[in-house]
Amino acid sequence: MIQPADFLTLVLILLSAIVAGRLLAPYIVKIFTHAPSRLDRFLDPVEKAIYRLLGVAPSHGMGWREYFLSALIVNIFQMILAFIIFVFQGGLPLNPQGFPGFSLDLAFMQVISFGTNTNLQHYNGEGVCNQLPNCYPLNNTPGLSYLSQMTAVQFLQFTSATTGICVAAAMIRGFVANSRDMGNFYTDFVRSLTRLFLPLCLIAALIFVGLGVPQTLNGYRIVSTLEGSTQTILVGPVASLVSIMQLGTNGGGYYGANSAYPFQNPNPASDIFQIFLMLLIPTALCFVYGQMLGKKKEARPILWGAYSLFAIDLLIAFIPNYTLSRGMEARFGGFFSTFWTVVTTAVTTGSVNSSLFGNHPLVILSAFMGMLIQSSPGGKGVGVMYMVMYVVITVFIVGLMSGRTPEYLGMKINARDVKLVMLTFLVHPVIILVPTVLAYATGAASAIGVSTGSTGFTQIFYEFTSAAANNGSDFLGATGNTPFFNISTALVMLSGRFIPIGLLLALAGSMMNRRRTSEIGLRTDSATFTIVLVGSILLLVVLTFFPFLALGPILEFFQKRVNGF
Amino acid sequence: MSLTKEIGRNSTPAIRLAVVSMLLCGLLFPLAVTGFAQVLFPSQANGSIAHFTTSNSKAVGSYLIAQNFSDPLLFEPRNSSLSASGVDPDITLQDAIAQVPRISNLTGIPQGDINDIINQNVEGTFWIFGSPYVNVLRLNLALIHNFQTIYEQKDPGLFVL
Repeated sequence: MIQPADFLTLVLILLSAIVAGRLLAPYIVKIFTHAPSRLDRFLDPVEKAIYRLLGVAPSHGMGWREYFLSALIVNIFQMILAFIIFVFQGGLPLNPQGFPGFSLDLAFMQVISFGTNTNLQHYNGEGVCNQLPNCYPLNNTPGLSYLSQMTAVQFLQFTSATTGICVAAAMIRGFVANSRDMGNFYTDFVRSLTRLFLPLCLIAALIFVGLGVPQTLNGYRIVSTLEGSTQTILVGPVASLVSIMQLGTNGGGYYGANSAYPFQNPNPASDIFQIFLMLLIPTALCFVYGQMLGKKKEARPILWGAYSLFAIDLLIAFIPNYTLSRGMEARFGGFFSTFWTVVTTAVTTGSVNSSLFGNHPLVILSAFMGMLIQSSPGGKGVGVMYMVMYVVITVFIVGLMSGRTPEYLGMKINARDVKLVMLTFLVHPVIILVPTVLAYATGAASAIGVSTGSTGFTQIFYEFTSAAANNGSDFLGATGNTPFFNISTALVMLSGRFIPIGLLLALAGSMMNRRRTSEIGLRTDSATFTIVLVGSILLLVVLTFFPFLALGPILEFFQKRVNGF
Repeated sequence: MSLTKEIGRNSTPAIRLAVVSMLLCGLLFPLAVTGFAQVLFPSQANGSIAHFTTSNSKAVGSYLIAQNFSDPLLFEPRNSSLSASGVDPDITLQDAIAQVPRISNLTGIPQGDINDIINQNVEGTFWIFGSPYVNVLRLNLALIHNFQTIYEQKDPGLFVL
């Protein structure tokens, strides 16, 4: 059970994220509605110069298909650039440790991982230490050069987060009454970068440095310890990466141990700030939804639905007693380790501040819930999109039950809409369950030494769930660096990212200019509807995944109960 | 408009946007952060390097990264396989207090004095929040400086510069 002081800490962090999200929302709306802002004086000339350089007409409005295609093509080119950096880093500058380039399948998997906002990592960014804690000598195994950390990892972390928020804005435009088009992807992308991500990350990065996170281009420092042995201090451009990896709900760390590594997360203050950053924009987007629609009340089921599901995740995770256990850091203890695991999966960031192996099966079950639901409040942009998908499904179910034509925002929901949302929903089970089974059927799971039984099953199921949800936390880490896991997770991440985005943009496209009635049918901004929404989501997700959850964390829980912890 | 036409029309701006965003987010941003960080917080930006004394510049590691202490006269960090990072620089307050009798017996420093040093170095709590922990390197440096003559006598190797 949770201690009172810890409960208060948790509530205060969540409240501050909600308040800050509410305050940030009007600013985000201005970015996408091109409303005048005080920043225009400085940023307008910069943005216009970029549009000229790109050769795009900012006033050109796109339909859903062109918006989706341009997002997809830009993302593909960005991944290709990062791929080149990963493969050739050995011969490129800013590589003080002289790390060799990545193998082709690892580079392929990693660019897709970062490009889809997933951030599964089958490598240790800092290299592999032979001997902990002194880390000397450092093995010459695939680590990342500073150039790769910057121009491949941080680069894709920025662009995938930006893409997420852009497609969400485009989808919302489809639902807005009387909108003529879904916007222009290039202007959305440039404006989100110059006005939202770059300035916020600059501030956040400097706060992190102040709290102790390194930011230097000098190579690793070798020192003689107090007792005279040799130690490698693994510094680098860490703070700039941490800012975007949390704010962009990416989650890919500078170090293999992610935010458990003291340089990436030095104290409880930096830990709380990282949790806050993860929650900030997904929460703000719930408000943005209502404000862009011009119906602020419609943000209620999105926000409170998300936070109710989040509360359920927290309830499950905090059933067992938590304490500083194996695989956790002393400065975070049991509470911050458990809280982090729930947050990072609820917003599908995927960063970790403890080893997942150290977590209780119920905490892992809660992590699964976050990743399977994907909108509590979910990742950057896509969390809101999934929540709207659940709203449409719920409207349809309620319509069936009451025998009325389902309506949302005064628009009739037709058969094609329902097909689109059901297809979107079904993508997830297919791309999680099929590869999990394949990993066992082909022997790929046993090849990397995953134990048989519920613990091993949890690890494999978690890997593909994390990949499909574009989360990125995992049990496998660098042991997953085999062709089977690199290629299978890459395909799962790609499908889990772009198929739902494409389908939901198509849905929004068909909503555009649909006739709206002013008569109020089903009220979707009420508390009753939110309760039905949360109930439907739980029912859909639990029914779909229960057999797999039962074989994994649930079975593990009962086995540990019988055998003792 | 046809699909191929939409793809064709967007290819050139897409390549250019990819390059521009790479330069902006991957190069300009981290370099700007590095510049500001090195000016504003030089110590943290370079890895919170610990020095033996404030007057002498000998680096003895980083406050944020655990190091081996095999000397029973000093506080020991957690076994590296117990933490998530393998380099957990801190121990819990209880863990530190549990080591006091051993250090006191071997060095002859009164337990109360060692407890005082621990209490001066407790971190991680704020009002009613948090759980207390101490940084092992900070603790050991404080011990050595407060009881320099004892450590010079018992473990002269620590003072070789």
